[in-house]
Amino acid sequence: MKIGIYFCNCGSNIAEKISSEAIIAAAKTFPEQPYVTIVDFICSEDGKLQFEESLKLEQPDRVVVAACSPRDHEATFRRCLINAGMNPYLMQMVNIREQIAWVTEDPAVATEKAIGAVRGAVMRVTLQQPLEKKQLEVCPDALVIGAGPAGMKAALSLAEAGRSVVLVERTPFIGGLPVRFEELFPALECAPCMLEPLMGDLLHGDHAGNIELMTMAELVEVTGFYGNFIAKIRQKPRHVSLHECIGCGECVEACPAITMNVFNSNASERKAIDFAFAGVLPNAPFLMEEICLRYKAEECRACKDACPMGEDVVNLEEVETIVERRIGSIILATGAGLYDASQIAGMGMGTLPDVYDALQFERMLSSTGPTGGEIVTTAGNAPSSVAIIHCVGSLDDDHKPYCSGICCQYAFKFNHLITAKLPETTITHYHRELVVPGKEAHTLYKHAVKNKNSCMKRYDGIKDLAVTVDVSGQQQVSAKGDAAPADMVILCPAVIPAEGAGKLSALLDVSRDSFGFFRELHGRMDAAQSTIKGVYLAGACQEPMDTRSAMLEGMAGVGYTLAGLQPGRTLEIEPINAEVDETHCAGCRLCVSVCPYRAISFDTEHNASSINAVLCHGCGTCVAACPAGAITGHHFTNEQIMAEIEGVLK
Amino acid sequence: MTTEKGFEPKIIGFLCNWCSYAGADKAGGMQEPYPPNVQVIRVMCSGRVDPQFVLSAFEKGADGVIILACHPGDCHYKEGNCRALQRHSMLSLMLGQLGVEKERCRLDYVSAGEGEKFGRVIREMVEAVHKLGPLCLSQED
Ligand SMILES: Cc1cc2nc3c(=O)[nH]c(=O)nc-3n(C[C@H](O)[C@H](O)[C@H](O)COP(=O)(O)OP(=O)(O)OC[C@H]3O[C@@H](n4cnc5c(N)ncnc54)[C@H](O)[C@@H]3O)c2cc1C
Ligand code: FES
Repeated sequence: MKIGIYFCNCGSNIAEKISSEAIIAAAKTFPEQPYVTIVDFICSEDGKLQFEESLKLEQPDRVVVAACSPRDHEATFRRCLINAGMNPYLMQMVNIREQIAWVTEDPAVATEKAIGAVRGAVMRVTLQQPLEKKQLEVCPDALVIGAGPAGMKAALSLAEAGRSVVLVERTPFIGGLPVRFEELFPALECAPCMLEPLMGDLLHGDHAGNIELMTMAELVEVTGFYGNFIAKIRQKPRHVSLHECIGCGECVEACPAITMNVFNSNASERKAIDFAFAGVLPNAPFLMEEICLRYKAEECRACKDACPMGEDVVNLEEVETIVERRIGSIILATGAGLYDASQIAGMGMGTLPDVYDALQFERMLSSTGPTGGEIVTTAGNAPSSVAIIHCVGSLDDDHKPYCSGICCQYAFKFNHLITAKLPETTITHYHRELVVPGKEAHTLYKHAVKNKNSCMKRYDGIKDLAVTVDVSGQQQVSAKGDAAPADMVILCPAVIPAEGAGKLSALLDVSRDSFGFFRELHGRMDAAQSTIKGVYLAGACQEPMDTRSAMLEGMAGVGYTLAGLQPGRTLEIEPINAEVDETHCAGCRLCVSVCPYRAISFDTEHNASSINAVLCHGCGTCVAACPAGAITGHHFTNEQIMAEIEGVLK
Repeated sequence: MTTEKGFEPKIIGFLCNWCSYAGADKAGGMQEPYPPNVQVIRVMCSGRVDPQFVLSAFEKGADGVIILACHPGDCHYKEGNCRALQRHSMLSLMLGQLGVEKERCRLDYVSAGEGEKFGRVIREMVEAVHKLGPLCLSQED
């Protein structure tokens, strides 16, 4: 086997400390009899050319490059090998610059250390094998779960890029939380109006044809892996054809069955067949089977008869279906909810009539909400005093230790909107910390501070506060015994992951953090990637955030999808990965338990583990764990590492 | 068999590619000399360090072995360093039974930015092994 050592002087950086003559002399004593070539700056254009020409001429079987850190130039020199017609994995680098020349005082000592390291590399490289990147056919299409700001933005942008997208939303409408709000911080923009163009494009725009929107749907099973997932989606019956319904509401008029509307926090009524609330998109009602008389064995078909668009629009026989879609990547955009404030003693949530959580109050403010946008107490009066309690369950080790980040901002939005509607009403903000970050949030904060009818009271812990009703029936908030009237109390509870996040996490195998939000692959570097390859995170399902960040995160998921999977291009699989030799696998499954990427599965039929090369990151943890030595870590095999150890110690 | 004059310990350092190896490069960039006794073997993750590598290093003449990993929670592969920690405790026990002082096999954490710490850890390790003297497995058997 012919081995070539390429020694880089790196100008004087290496040459000053390590004698190339000594390396040449030492190489003569190696049993492998490598040749040694000295280059001045091997990473320079001239140096690379010289290197490649020499490789072509000498045609070595293996190559050692003694130069700088492989972290700098391993990829560069691998390309040189390719240019010279060699397999790039037949090279080993020795870091004689950063780890020897620059940190060793005595040139004789440095030279001796370098000889040892080169010997190790020579012994290792003889055992290195040519490796090939495998190519895999992939599906460039995506599944987006959740049609809030993050999911809608992602779906539309992918569609604009020509990708087919399946957008799965479990409610009957799109728009997520903010479509239920009247106005948005920081600029008090009308929320449905802001979302309207996005929702319009999604439903009817030039690229809507690329989006398959499934409302009242949920993911039930996913198999496969990055590039080739198969998703099973449960489509619940709406009983109204989205394509044919014109949203006239005749069926709603005709329906005799009544219930409370969850989308208005159960503060208003709805019919069995009805819209979620006025103005929703898609503009079509949905039928609640549990309320419909027909499902109580009565012969009612009032809605169907009332429909002016014909027999086929309302389908009372429609049943649940499971559909299957092939996709390459998945964007999770399932959003957030609010911590249940009734869990916090003394807040009066659920026990006192005029205590509302922020989402309930958003609905009250909304013109499509239960009061048509009027701020009224349960007794039907405009409140003369309102208390807004911040940090309910946030920054609190007994509940949620984190700051939810958005609450102060919407609390000051409430201040503005209440004063606009009820100029005489006094507003007290009970807060622990005030968080109004960024370049825009301060305006609403300043407005609230300047508001002559409002005041700020700082409290230390939620236990210091109590919402009560006095003997005269006046609702009040007392802070350490100091009571003040509050006809209406609005709680700003901690933002928590949407209900069902746990189910999705189990289904997709993606990890969650201790608060239940989906865990990022890396909190800084890859905050929009989940722990499973090809599953991305967008919006408030990852942590509490405002709509601006949610939209941006949606775009981050789009970026990963577009960069990772391209139509007509195969997925390259890194050859530095691990592989199980089935014949030696004892079936202990230790590897399955140590793999951080769930890349290893156990094949009960063959009683052996098998590693999915797409999911394997090549860390080698399973290789070290395997008691039977049945796993090979390509390019870092036991034999290669042992040879290197032996070489450097000789 | 203790600190004979002129004894220069031979030490093998297993460094994970992402933090510790980068930390060693950082130390290089700072051009602050440290003892030359450690020969570095680069692995992708400290989780790749098979206990048999450590045993074989001792067998082939190393007087000490140091495994350097990313800080807990920072492993590029999420939890490889937890495995390294588990294996290291197991190794310490095993080496003890073989009569090898546990100071001869050290696990520590060096991040990509900790060039100064890398130098310090190497100095400490070399000093510790220097004090222990050469490892003579056949004699201790
Ligand atoms: C009280 C309150 C006031 C706020 N005010 C403002 C404001 O004024 N300005 C501002 O910028 N931000 C505001 N926010 C923040 C804003 O609501 C969020 O930033 C935004 O909702 C995040 O968008 P999203 O798409 O991540 O999630 P969401 O809006 O929560 O949307 C998630 C979507 O996913 C669906 N979904 C959930 N689980 C599943 C599942 N398993 N399968 C299918 N679909 C599912 C949901 O039904 C929903 O449609 C406020 C938040 C609250 C709580
Ligand atoms: S990559 Fe550094 S310890 Fe795993």
